[in-house]
This record gives sequence, structure tokens and C-alpha cells, in this order.
Amino acid sequence: MWLGFQTRRHYCELSMTLLIISQILNGLATGMLYALLAVGLTLILGVLNIPNFAHGALYAFGAYFTFMIASFTESFYLAILIAPFLVVLIGFLIESQGVRRLYAAHHDYQLLFLFAVALILQELIIVFWGPVGFSLLPPDDLAGAVDLGIIIYPKYRIALLIFSALVILALFFFINKTDLGAILRAGIENREMVTVLGIDINRVFLLTFGLGAYLAGLAGGLATPILGLTPSMGLDILPICFVVVVVAGLGSIPGAIIAGILVGLSQSITTIWWPEATNVVIYVMMGLTIILRPQGLFGSR
Amino acid sequence: MRNTYLLLICFGFVLIGPFVLPPTTAAEMLIFGIIAVSTNIMVGYTGLLSFGQASFFGIGAYACGLMLKAGVPLLLAIPAGTGLALLIAGMVGYFCVKRTGLYFICLTFAFNQMFYFIAYVWTGVTGGEDGLPGIPRPDLISDPVSFYVFIAVLFFICLLAMLRIIHSPLGLAFRLIRENPSRAAAVGYNVRLFKWFSFIIASAFTGLAGTVYAMLYSIVPIDQIHWLKSGDFIFMLLFGGTGNFFGPLIGAVGYIWLSDTFAVIWARWPLLMGIVFLIVVLHLRGGVVELIGRAYRFAIRERAEATA
Repeated sequence: MWLGFQTRRHYCELSMTLLIISQILNGLATGMLYALLAVGLTLILGVLNIPNFAHGALYAFGAYFTFMIASFTESFYLAILIAPFLVVLIGFLIESQGVRRLYAAHHDYQLLFLFAVALILQELIIVFWGPVGFSLLPPDDLAGAVDLGIIIYPKYRIALLIFSALVILALFFFINKTDLGAILRAGIENREMVTVLGIDINRVFLLTFGLGAYLAGLAGGLATPILGLTPSMGLDILPICFVVVVVAGLGSIPGAIIAGILVGLSQSITTIWWPEATNVVIYVMMGLTIILRPQGLFGSR
Repeated sequence: MRNTYLLLICFGFVLIGPFVLPPTTAAEMLIFGIIAVSTNIMVGYTGLLSFGQASFFGIGAYACGLMLKAGVPLLLAIPAGTGLALLIAGMVGYFCVKRTGLYFICLTFAFNQMFYFIAYVWTGVTGGEDGLPGIPRPDLISDPVSFYVFIAVLFFICLLAMLRIIHSPLGLAFRLIRENPSRAAAVGYNVRLFKWFSFIIASAFTGLAGTVYAMLYSIVPIDQIHWLKSGDFIFMLLFGGTGNFFGPLIGAVGYIWLSDTFAVIWARWPLLMGIVFLIVVLHLRGGVVELIGRAYRFAIRERAEATA
């Protein structure tokens, strides 16, 4: 009797540890998605000086394109390869047809333009794909779970973790080591100076917006097997992206990555003890950041 | 003088409103009219673009709805709900006005979503996803027509109060801050303090509109506190015209017509709203007011050419 009780308690403690470990891994995986989104948002915010309100809609389109291509070609990998580029096309369209025309106006109008675009894209999702959500299974070789020694964990999430870490590394290399990346960094630092140096700023803007759109679309595609598809997915993720950017500090790319992971982790860890508070905790985090460090964790301005 | 004429026109519209439209729809237009004009104090006159005004609308609505359900008299519930919205706007505003520009927008937007999730999670009090139903209306204003009269009186009180604020030295300080914040600071104005005042005043009126909204359909749906609603408020301002005190009223009427009347014909009405929004941002930044102005000038020119 006593022994049975003891083992049960022991079992409870053990399963608690396992729960915490798997929630940390879950948090890292969603955190990576947030990081991808937030880096795109930060780039656009830094270089073009506008908060991209259409970022959530681009993310949603990335997911729906992935779903469409994956069900058409029956290859998830092909879908992940192609879908983000379709989102880039939408991004190019938004930048060249709208945002660029509004540089002369107050920057509030660019923001409002992007908000209008987000509304339209949001409704187009319902018009094209209907108000009911879908789910997409991970590809066969990433289906099921793998034994990590301590816990058994879904293969797809591990692949997602590794893949997004690689994408972030590649992005880091691109931004810090290539000439184009240097222009982007200079654009964030001082936009006027870039123009003075004889670089076509319109092309830089187009490229930045395209890169941001690519990252949003990629995050959307990668998210589909774990989060599913709903028409409101873009609306739901947008405020989270902004929280990440505020916590990171406007304009800091490494900050956006770290803050993205932090936000993902804090959400998943809160789920263990207080599932209802999962969505509120990130705003508490934001509030604390504003009180203790108004410029954000990594912001200098 | 011009304002007197425009007020009389408003009065005329409020009088014929319930004969042309269902009184409930007309009342909703007036409620959103208060919101549009008050948000314009902040967005149009002070130059603070906020994407979080639905927070205060929702807080006012939930607070008043809960109090009415608990049997608190109306004359206490409305000021108390408005007071709560004002208090919370004071706290949120304190943090938001510390930052300017993009940061300010991001903050208002994120705070809005925080209040949404609080309402979403706190099911015991707010009803969560189902909204807060069963809000009673006092006997005196229980039928649609008397409720409309009540809203109309409130509407004019708010309109006159806001007109007074805009034409006071405080309103001038708001405009100064919009036009040139650094000069305002140089002349000795505490820019942050005045931005905070503007934020609080706008939010308090929005909260007041929320308190009476709770009684309109006897329910507070949760999407009234969602950040998309804040976007809708901005749509109303922009569509009507931010440059004019009365302009946003046109936007409120247009928005309620779209969401109440047109929504029955076509469920995807936000698509139309988005497209109108897009056209206004790209080609008609002064909104309907500018359109009227252009048409007026065009008519004058035509007549001048005809006589010449």
C-alpha cells in the first residue's frame, strides 16, 4: 500500500519532468516560427520604417499555398520549397503597387495601406478556401515519433527545430557576411546614408519586403503540420509577432530571434501550470519589458 | 458659425434616422459616431494613431453590462463603466505615450490583444468566447424608440463636449503637438502629458459609448474587444475624413450600414470594406469630406465657366 503510493508519486514526478522537457521542446519549435516571423517584421520595420500589418496575412497565405501545393503534388517538401516564393510575389506586389507610392505621404498611410491589404487578404482566404479550417499531415518520413532516450517526441517537430535553426543561421550569414546584407544593415541604421551612397533604395525596399514575405510564408508553411490551417491564423499570429518585436527592441535582428524563442518558451511552459494564461503571459512579458527596459531587450533607440 | 450649421445638419439626420432605418441600427450609428469623433481627437487632432481603442470600448461595455446584470442602476453603471475605461486608459496610455511613432502603434495594438485574451480567458466574468449575454435595459428605455431618444440625447451631449474640448486651449495644444512636437516642447508644453490627456479623453468617450452599446443588443460579443475592431474604428475615421470634426460621423454611418445592412446581402462585406479602405488610403486621404469638397469646388468652377 505504502510502497504503491510511493511509486505513484515517483511516477508523477518523473512524468512531470518529461512533460517539462517536451514542453520546452514544443516552446523551442514555436519559438523558432516566431523568430522567423519576427526577423521578417524587424527587417521591414528597420529598413522601410513601417510595421507590416500584412505580415500575418502573408503567413496565412504561406500556409494555404503549402497546403494547396502539398495536396496537389502530394509532396510536402516541394510545397515548402515553392509556397514561400508565391508569397514573395504577393509581397512584391504589395510593395511596388502600394507601399512605394505612399513614401511621400505620412508613414501612417503606409501602415493603413498594409492594414487594408491584410483585411482583403484575410477575406480572400475565406473566399478561396472557405471558412472551415484544414489540417495537413507531415510527410511520411517525418511522421510518427522518435525515441530521444528520455522522451518520445514527434519527428516533425524535431525536423522543424533543426530546419528553422538552419534557416536562421543562413539568414545570419546573409545579413552579416554578404554585401547585400551589409546594405540591409546600413538601411536599418541610416536610410538616408544608403541613398547618398548611390544605392537604389527602391530596390533595397523591394528586396527587404520580399525577404520578409519569404520568411512569413516559410513560417506559415512549416507551421501547417503542427498548427493546422484556419482562416484567422494570420490575425491570431500578428499581435504575437508585434510582442516579439517590442520585447526585442525595434530594429534588432538577433534580438528578434532570441525574443521569439523566449516568447515561444514562455507560452509553452505556462501551458504546464496554467493553460488558460498561455495567451496572456506574453503580454505580461511585454508589459514587464516596457516597465523595466523601455527600449526593449536588445534595442538601442 | 459653420459648426452651428453642421450641428443642425446632424440634428436633422438624428431626427429622420429612426424613420428611415430600424431604430436599433440608427442607435448603433450614433454610438459608433461617438467613438469615431472621440478617436479623431486622438488620431486626427493630436496625430496619435492608436490601434487599441477597442480595449476601452470593450472595457466600458463589459463593466456596464456586468453592473446592470447585478442590478446597479443605470445612472450609476454608465459613469462607473466610463470611469473604469478612463482609469485603465490612464494606465495603458502612460506606457504608450512614453514612446512615439511606430512603437506607440505597436504598443496600443499589443495591449488591445492583451485585453482581448483577458476577456477570452476570464469566462466566469465575461462569458469568454460566447460573449456576455442577458444585459437588462431599464424599464424607461426598454423599447427601441425611447432607447433611441436616450442615445440621441447622449450623442449630442458628447458631441458638444468634444467640440468644446477641441476649441479650447487644450484642443489647440493637441493640434500644436500634431503639427510640430519639438516646437511644442520648446515653447514649454509637456508634450507627453498632453498626449496622455488626449489618449485619456478619447478613450473615456469610447468607453462611454461602450457602456451604452452593452444595452443595445443586450449582449457584449467578444469580438467587440478584438484588435480588428480597433482597425474598424480607424476605418470609420479615415473613410469620413480625419481633417474635420464631423467627418468621422459619415464614416460611422457608412461602417454600420456595411456591417448591419450590407452584411445581410453579402457575408464577405469586410472585403468591400478593405477595398474602400485601400482606395481611401491611396487616392482620397481626406475621406468623404474631401470628396464633398472636391465636388463643391468642381461645381463652382463649372458654374464660373458657364457664366464666362
